[in-house]
Amino acid sequence: MSEYTMTALPALGGYQASFDGVTLQEVTATAIVSIAIPLGGDDAMAKALQDAYGTAIPRAGHTSLANDGATRFLGMSSEQMFAVFDHAGAHALDVIAGNLKDAGYYTLQSDNWVALRISGPRSRDALERICPIDLNSAAFPQGKVARTTMEHLGVIIYPDDTDSFILLSGSSSAGSFLHALETSIHNIL
Amino acid sequence: MTQKNRITGGLVDRSTTLNFSFNGNRFQGHPGDTLASALLANGQIMMGRSFKYHRPRGALSAGSEEPNALVQLRKGSHQEPNTRATVAELFEGLEATSQNHRGSLENDFMEITDLFSRFLSAGFYYKTFMWPKSFWEKVYEPIIRHSAGLGRISFEPDPDIYDKGFLHCDLLVIGGGPAGLSAALAAGRSGARVIIADEDFMIGGRLNAETLEVDGISGSEWAARAAVELAAMDNVRLMARTTVYGAYDHGIYGALERVTDHLVTSNGKPRQILWRVYSRRAVLCAGATERPIAFGNNDRPGVMLAGAVRAYANRWGVSPGKRVAIFTNNDDGWRTASDLSRQGVNISAVIDTRDGEPRAQIPGATIAMGGRVMDTRGRKAIHSIKLVDGRTIDADCLAVSGGWNPNIHLTGHQRGRPAWREDISTFVPGQDLPAGMSVAGAANGTFTLAAALAEGHAASDRALSDLGMTPKGGDIAKAEDEAANVTAFWHVSESKARAWLDQQNDVTVKDIKLAHRESFRSVEHLKRYTTLGMATDQGKTANMLALALMAECTGKTIPETGTTIFRPPYTPIPMGALAGRSRGKDFRPYRLTPSHKWAEEQGAIFVTTGMWLRSQWFPQPGETHWRESVDREVAATRGSVGICDVTTLGKIDIQGRDAAEFLNKVYVNGFATLDVGKVRYGLMLREDGMAMDDGTTARLGKNHFVMTTTTANAGPVFRHMEFCRQCLWPDMDVHLISTTDGWAQFAVAGPNARKLLQKVVDSDHSITNEDFPFMACGEITVCGGTTARLFRISFSGELAYEIAVPARYGDSLIRALMAAGEEFNVVAYGTEALGVMRIEKGHAAGNELTGQTTAANLGMGRMVSKKKDCIGNVLSERPALNQDDDLRLVGFKPVNKSEALASGAHFIARGKSAVMANDEGWMSSVTFSPELGHSIGLGFIKSGQERMGEIVRAVDLVHNKDIEVEIVSPHFIDPEGDRLRV
Amino acid sequence: MIINHPHLGPRDAQEFVYLGDASLMDRPDWQDENAADNFHDYLYLRDNPDGEHRELWYHEQGDRSWLVVTRNTLTHEITRVELARDVAIAMRRRK
Repeated sequence: MSEYTMTALPALGGYQASFDGVTLQEVTATAIVSIAIPLGGDDAMAKALQDAYGTAIPRAGHTSLANDGATRFLGMSSEQMFAVFDHAGAHALDVIAGNLKDAGYYTLQSDNWVALRISGPRSRDALERICPIDLNSAAFPQGKVARTTMEHLGVIIYPDDTDSFILLSGSSSAGSFLHALETSIHNIL
Repeated sequence: MTQKNRITGGLVDRSTTLNFSFNGNRFQGHPGDTLASALLANGQIMMGRSFKYHRPRGALSAGSEEPNALVQLRKGSHQEPNTRATVAELFEGLEATSQNHRGSLENDFMEITDLFSRFLSAGFYYKTFMWPKSFWEKVYEPIIRHSAGLGRISFEPDPDIYDKGFLHCDLLVIGGGPAGLSAALAAGRSGARVIIADEDFMIGGRLNAETLEVDGISGSEWAARAAVELAAMDNVRLMARTTVYGAYDHGIYGALERVTDHLVTSNGKPRQILWRVYSRRAVLCAGATERPIAFGNNDRPGVMLAGAVRAYANRWGVSPGKRVAIFTNNDDGWRTASDLSRQGVNISAVIDTRDGEPRAQIPGATIAMGGRVMDTRGRKAIHSIKLVDGRTIDADCLAVSGGWNPNIHLTGHQRGRPAWREDISTFVPGQDLPAGMSVAGAANGTFTLAAALAEGHAASDRALSDLGMTPKGGDIAKAEDEAANVTAFWHVSESKARAWLDQQNDVTVKDIKLAHRESFRSVEHLKRYTTLGMATDQGKTANMLALALMAECTGKTIPETGTTIFRPPYTPIPMGALAGRSRGKDFRPYRLTPSHKWAEEQGAIFVTTGMWLRSQWFPQPGETHWRESVDREVAATRGSVGICDVTTLGKIDIQGRDAAEFLNKVYVNGFATLDVGKVRYGLMLREDGMAMDDGTTARLGKNHFVMTTTTANAGPVFRHMEFCRQCLWPDMDVHLISTTDGWAQFAVAGPNARKLLQKVVDSDHSITNEDFPFMACGEITVCGGTTARLFRISFSGELAYEIAVPARYGDSLIRALMAAGEEFNVVAYGTEALGVMRIEKGHAAGNELTGQTTAANLGMGRMVSKKKDCIGNVLSERPALNQDDDLRLVGFKPVNKSEALASGAHFIARGKSAVMANDEGWMSSVTFSPELGHSIGLGFIKSGQERMGEIVRAVDLVHNKDIEVEIVSPHFIDPEGDRLRV
Repeated sequence: MIINHPHLGPRDAQEFVYLGDASLMDRPDWQDENAADNFHDYLYLRDNPDGEHRELWYHEQGDRSWLVVTRNTLTHEITRVELARDVAIAMRRRK
């Protein structure tokens, strides 16, 4: 055994706070693996995804859910998706590679991102101060995802429940992103 | 003081009294008042001094078009100049002061300028300050600077906060008057997503200023009920105090919401919000602005627009005068007479420029059909008016109506030109409206109530049908169409005294005529020469009159004369609102490396590189100068081992069947032959042959590479490679994704680097020189099974590795490495020591990769493969980039070792003068080398590679330094690279 | 401006980075005998039309796709948006 131990630190140390009508919390233990579909390999990927997860390749801007509900696939572009699932360790890539075999190219993305959930009846009011995407529940229902920019930072956003959104932004700028969200919440309350 | 001009009626809340002050005098008003209505109620007619001549002025209007009644609101750092009293909502304790006078408002020393007005005519600046030349800086400019501007800023940071936001809707309704409310109700009831915005704090527009009825109730009551209905709809957002100020491309509108301006304090919440509104359709219902008539001394306090006088009476229960005269060219002016008369205000006269029968019976009033006002009397407020026929009539308020101009400004924000309508003598929106916009109501020249309500409703229905929705707006609200005939009349030619057109800029009829005589015929030239239509009101009440006058001068029609182009914003936007929250620390985000917290604990000094904060050096107790710290870090690294966080380098994961071939095309050197488990340095050119970026790329698998880029170019390189992949070589199977933030990466450098690493790398991964030689790479585990990547690469010139772990373990890893290195006296080093060691080693970096240097300049010309296609390959062979005396990157050391080199110095041969013609190149990077004990530098000099040992001068004219330097190899330490390979 | 992305629908132009004339996709053959001249023209010669213009935009804050946007330089009207990759593949087939 090594004399040194490695401890995983979430980007925001497991932040959680509640405000009047809005709750903001860091989502830890979420794994993100990017899956690139090889040129001409759409059919093979569609089959692999169906066989392993019982779901289809999400179109860009849409998500699909594994039949056990545990893994969500975010359509990032026409040839790239992110698999998002609960996983505590750093071996998430092996999980996806094990399931989808050589149907895709896989890159570990878990630590690239900080994940925050903003929820509550006033979550849209707060987000409308920084998010250019139309978050109206009819325009942006569950099953959609968007990658955009908020306060100069790239952000991936998707609704995961009624009045609840998951936000993924670069882990190195997690502090600034949290500050932007907290400021937005302060400004509407 | 009592509110001596307060009359009955109005929509102010008389049950509550608000105290406020103006120029230190205490007054009272009521909720619902504007500062202007409250001042008028208290008999304070004079509210400011004019810009150029310091003439006494009062409110002309009752809205955002106001040219005169500009005041300073609040005090200290909250002070805001040039606020229109006519839209400033009254609140308890409001403090306002008038502007642009020295001495008191009543006794302004600068009033003397009015006596010299004949010297201050159009183009006065251009004519007066031409000579003598020497007077400009010493005499003219200080005078102009002192006189310029109206209000005064506080010179303190704005203590308020501002915000921005994004809104989306099917239909944006701009304006909450009858047409706007009708449109919003129709769309809202149909289920469309609607935003309706109005600049006023009270929704209703002119409905609140008139005595007209809608659906059998008063217009103001109907508007109030409509507002309640709209506010209750989930699909409607009703925004009062919100000005839609600009129409941008593709249905995007800018809107400013004044959230707390009407409150005593903003309580730490944003004072204003600048909204970006994305609309699928928009209907402009911005109403109309009344225009004055020009006649002698028409700028005196008490001369007001007739619709404004009526608004003060009907909405605010204020009569601006006790004896009100009306001067009109249209039916609308008569309504001011009858409305005020009905409220018991004495109407002394109605003067109508038109012949024929009086349009209404006004008890006690002198009626002058075909009459004209030619002058007014009364210096600080009028007391009488003089007609062309010689009659003098008592009046302490003159209500003037020259007809109404539709507020078409937003229709012209995208080059749209208005169309002339002769029947109402004004411009209406033209055909080329911004895409998705329609116009309804008075803004469209539809001046009567029933027609405006119908037009708003119809515009909504059309918009919804366009969007594939079914209009279900129900019935149109019912009203009568009031009389609204007008006969064009612009100025009273009999007036001998000065007649004002633009009161804000003190432009008179005479100025326009003079400009015309001096051949300023284009409206755009006229505007710039006379300053007509400039400043806060942008000539909303002035432009039309000036245009009519210009047409008269040139003998053309008004539409032939043209209009000026409208640009955003419709009304002024505070700079703070444009900045939003982007101030101070919020100006931009910052990125932190995973070792940041640890570095803070070590007392590191941080430097900003792009968005990143990086450790620059780590001062130790007793070190007083940064050089002490940096020299120690370098010496300790070269002597034993040092660790540097290099997470900020861009990392791009590249996978695909064609990944190797792709790299062959983006790098000048070959990558297809790179073995799995190996790293190679790569140089990237732009297509024009200039160096773009460099870095190392590791081959982790047959189809899997990890590229590093410089910190600064991570984004641009990624974009460039996506361009290559998608636009140039779409048949290649290659995929890119950034992993910069995903991995914490540390350089471990120095003779003891391996020994240190062996303590943290799990023992089943051998990193001996045999198993893991220079330029090897591999996936390993550390500290008992944690995933890691190890690269044997060196930027410092020492035996070195870069080790990466998933970012979440970065904090643990730096602590583990430092602990493991304790026995070797490990140091942490920052970007300064990194820079010192790379210069000692002769590596090019940002100072050398300037975008103007070629591979040959950098001494890497031979790396550019001629056997393959790659970006920049062809044009790098241009003759101009391949001269015999090309610049070449070499090293420099001072002949006198005690002298310090300076980057930016230029190389000049000994004995030649330091002029451009003798320039041979420049010094790009310098440092003190702890290893060598003297200053060293890298630089570009002509044919440098053939001039080793030659002495030239490094001339730095900025710092007045001229020293002799020797041209040497850029590799100051270990030129054979032995240290790397041990 | 709003760019109607073929996959993602209308998106604010602020998410995009502008490059320029779409002719940059038509990179010359490096082995052609006039390669130097061809590359010079490719890199430095551009039309500057007042009217319809095909140009490259990169959806940096989105799906990282390069788009060929047909935009009227006078009115900013956008009449067509295509994935650059599709355009590039079609160009190759024509050659």
